[in-house]
Amino acid sequence: MPDVRLALVGAFFVLVWLGIGVRLVDVQALNADAYADRGFEQRVRQEELVAVRGSILDRDHQAIATSVDALTVIADPTLIVDDVATAQLLAPLVSRTEDELIDAFASDRRYYVVQRGLTGDEAESFKLYVTANNIKGLFYATEPKRIYPFASLASQLVGFVGGDEGRGIEGLEYRYDEELAGVPGRQVVERDPYGNPIPQGHHTVEDAVHGSDLVLTIDSQIQFTAEKMLEEALLDTGARSGSVVVLDVQTGGVLAMANAPTFDPNNRRHAQPWIFRNGAVANVYEPGSTLKVVTVAAAIEEGIVEPSTVFDVPPEYVIPLEPEPKIYQDVGHEDTLAMSVGEIVARSSNVGTILIQSLLGNETHHEYLASFGLGTSTGEFPAESAGSLEDATDWCVSTCGPSTAIGYRVGVTPLQMAGVFATIANDGVWMEPHVVDAVIHDDLTVDEYEPVSRPVLSKATAQILQRLLMGVVVSEEGTGWRAAIAGYTVGGKTGTTEKYLPDQGAYSETDRIASFIGMAPISDPRIVVAVVLDSPHGENEDGDDLKFGGVSAAPVFAAVMEAALHDLGVPPDAP
Amino acid sequence: MALTAERTEPISILQRERPLRPDLMLVLSFLALSAIGIVMVYTATAPALELAGADTATTMRRHAIFVMIGVAVFIVASLIDQRALLSLTPIAYLGSLVALFLVLTPLGTEFNGARRWVDIGPLPFQPSEFAKIAVVLALAALLGNGTAGKVRWDHIARAIVLVGLPAVLIFRQPDLGTMLVFGFVAVAMLFASGTTWRQLAFLVIAATVGAVGIFRAGALRTFQIQRLTAFLDPSEDLAASALYNQIQSEIAIGSGGFFGKGLGQGTQTNLSFVPEQESDFIFTAVGEQLGFIGGTIVIALFGVLVWRVLVAAVNGRDRFGQLVAVGVAGMLMFHVFVNIGMTMRLVPVTGLPLPFMSAGGTAFIAFSLALGMAHSVWMRRSPVPGE
Repeated sequence: MPDVRLALVGAFFVLVWLGIGVRLVDVQALNADAYADRGFEQRVRQEELVAVRGSILDRDHQAIATSVDALTVIADPTLIVDDVATAQLLAPLVSRTEDELIDAFASDRRYYVVQRGLTGDEAESFKLYVTANNIKGLFYATEPKRIYPFASLASQLVGFVGGDEGRGIEGLEYRYDEELAGVPGRQVVERDPYGNPIPQGHHTVEDAVHGSDLVLTIDSQIQFTAEKMLEEALLDTGARSGSVVVLDVQTGGVLAMANAPTFDPNNRRHAQPWIFRNGAVANVYEPGSTLKVVTVAAAIEEGIVEPSTVFDVPPEYVIPLEPEPKIYQDVGHEDTLAMSVGEIVARSSNVGTILIQSLLGNETHHEYLASFGLGTSTGEFPAESAGSLEDATDWCVSTCGPSTAIGYRVGVTPLQMAGVFATIANDGVWMEPHVVDAVIHDDLTVDEYEPVSRPVLSKATAQILQRLLMGVVVSEEGTGWRAAIAGYTVGGKTGTTEKYLPDQGAYSETDRIASFIGMAPISDPRIVVAVVLDSPHGENEDGDDLKFGGVSAAPVFAAVMEAALHDLGVPPDAP
Repeated sequence: MALTAERTEPISILQRERPLRPDLMLVLSFLALSAIGIVMVYTATAPALELAGADTATTMRRHAIFVMIGVAVFIVASLIDQRALLSLTPIAYLGSLVALFLVLTPLGTEFNGARRWVDIGPLPFQPSEFAKIAVVLALAALLGNGTAGKVRWDHIARAIVLVGLPAVLIFRQPDLGTMLVFGFVAVAMLFASGTTWRQLAFLVIAATVGAVGIFRAGALRTFQIQRLTAFLDPSEDLAASALYNQIQSEIAIGSGGFFGKGLGQGTQTNLSFVPEQESDFIFTAVGEQLGFIGGTIVIALFGVLVWRVLVAAVNGRDRFGQLVAVGVAGMLMFHVFVNIGMTMRLVPVTGLPLPFMSAGGTAFIAFSLALGMAHSVWMRRSPVPGE
């Protein structure tokens, strides 16, 4: 046998050996780290630990919004033997149609969501049905579902969640989404190909921080009454929409914040988006007569007038302007009348209030308006508007003062106006309106709301105003007698303003914003209720025009206030 | 090399010309590889067995029994003179053909889509492993008989028939890897016998044409084609599944690094990311747990083994024995290269075991037999002047 041949065979073998050697060096010595990383990556899995979304609770810790475990029914179509029969069995129980199910079951996919969000009994009976009918190929998963046990209660305030992640997209759910959502935990775990954790493997757990609970100042009972009364008012008056705000005078806490029309966040599919708007903080209107209390309060506080100061009030107040003069009119008197400040308030005299404002001056007037919280938002509410309040230096010299005196040119929200009246009711101290009283964290620590307050009026002035407002309700010529409540002294102010139509740049000739804002009991005011109705019209059974706040809004005020007084156990102070 | 004159009488052990001393380097390499194999089989199977609640040593114990049988077979084969071997060759060759045929009958059993086993007695038996040896013996007998440095074309034709018969039967199983072993061993033995370069070129071209023909004829199973195409173009989508084993194996070996993760600490192999790690992918377990050092030692041991077998070929006293040794060396080398290359994605997956290490009874015994035959050739080598 030729030696050369064997030597060549040997040489070839050496080459092959070198090939293996080079590859071994390449894989294990030069690139070992990269391979190690790849191996680690495929063993290690990052798994999210669900953070349970916090609940939104009323002041008695009843859940208005909460998350529950819901059943998701998933099909593996490849495991379903008889597509049509299975679809026929399931269709009546789920929100998908029989045809949709047949199509899905016939496909060769492995994952198809048949139904989401079955809770409680629904989930149990579904499972029993599947077992009883021997339906194959279905699997269950548990997913959190957001539910609103009181349905439409405070729905615009609370808002709702949406999207795959269930993040807040409206209302408090949106505003406090970060707190409510919590922080999902992370589990980094090394697993073998079958998904079993590797005992000595890398394993770190960052626990989920569950979402915080919000404790609201909302009293569900009062909220419920407010919504019910508002809904009835819409039916009775034909108003397009309306808002009611109920404030706890001493704290500024919102006891109720109702809007109508309303919706059920559990089933909002057919609701029009504008209904989601929390009008009580988002709708800006010109308050009209209800703002006269600021003009009068400022004048008294500044010592310019006293309640008994008498003005000669003509029926008209004319400002000569080109091309035509601006004329402010009083309703109900043709001749010049001598009216006290008290009577001006009670009769809601435009001219009288303008006369008082002319003594007060724009500068001081503006200071008080701002001090009462107008023109700024509290920042406590989602979608809250700041309203609009021009600096005094920007006010025109002719009509701006008089118009502002009687509640025009200033944009306010129902909540801001409730705040103005609550300041008077609280003996002159403005308490910032708020609705979140406490945030209870996952670790049970509590962030309490820290009150923000500022003195606006002296106690004496505030109490004078309280009396004057009571006069609106009790006096013969007062505009607010429909706000009276048996057993309690009530004070308040009506408001009726022409509705400004922004898209037309003009005031509506027919539509009015009608409001009534008041407090009770006058002996020691505890509650302020603000009622604002958009465009009530027609007449009530007595033939009175419903477009006036005293006719349409005052009865709603009375009903809500009475319920709130009873609910809070406020003792009666009147025979 | 001076070839001794042909003997006319068989030489028995008692008539030996020199004391039969074992080739210590060969024997120790063989034993070392077998021992490492037992340990690696244990580490590769224990975790899964533990998970299943079984005795963690089950597979290892079974393999160890085969190793003991294999060592016995090696000793016996070492003691058989190549004369006796030559006389046994026709029986071995025909026996292999019959066994390969039996695999395709209802006696054969199928596993993972391939029909390679015969259930005879208590254990499944894989005739193709022994067919490799039978082919080596048959070719050695053909070429050792009077070719004297010249290979005639009729030798080549007869060699093709000798290799072709079992190859066709194995192709039906199918077992592409073993067919390639046949081809490589045949070419190596023909080359060593002194084929002309023209004959060699013919063989290479014929083999290439044959391979392309098989591929084109669609005779390959889908999984075989996928393994090949995925290997050649890993970017294809099917690469993900077809190359899964290889990529996992590569990751495991690479992550072993220089010193390895330590015995039983192989997160990739011990956690069964790598399939078949006790049989075809045993080198993966070595690479991950024992690292570059361990891998190098194993490859070096195989190098020593093949080197010693080639030395036996050089020193063999007759052409038959020399060619047997060449065939055994080629067979070992091809298995080692293809198997280890496969675990590091150097060559496609073909399903050839790693000699002396992969769990699998028939293969271990067959390799022991082959190595013993080569060892026998060395022990009865030509007298060296001065010895």
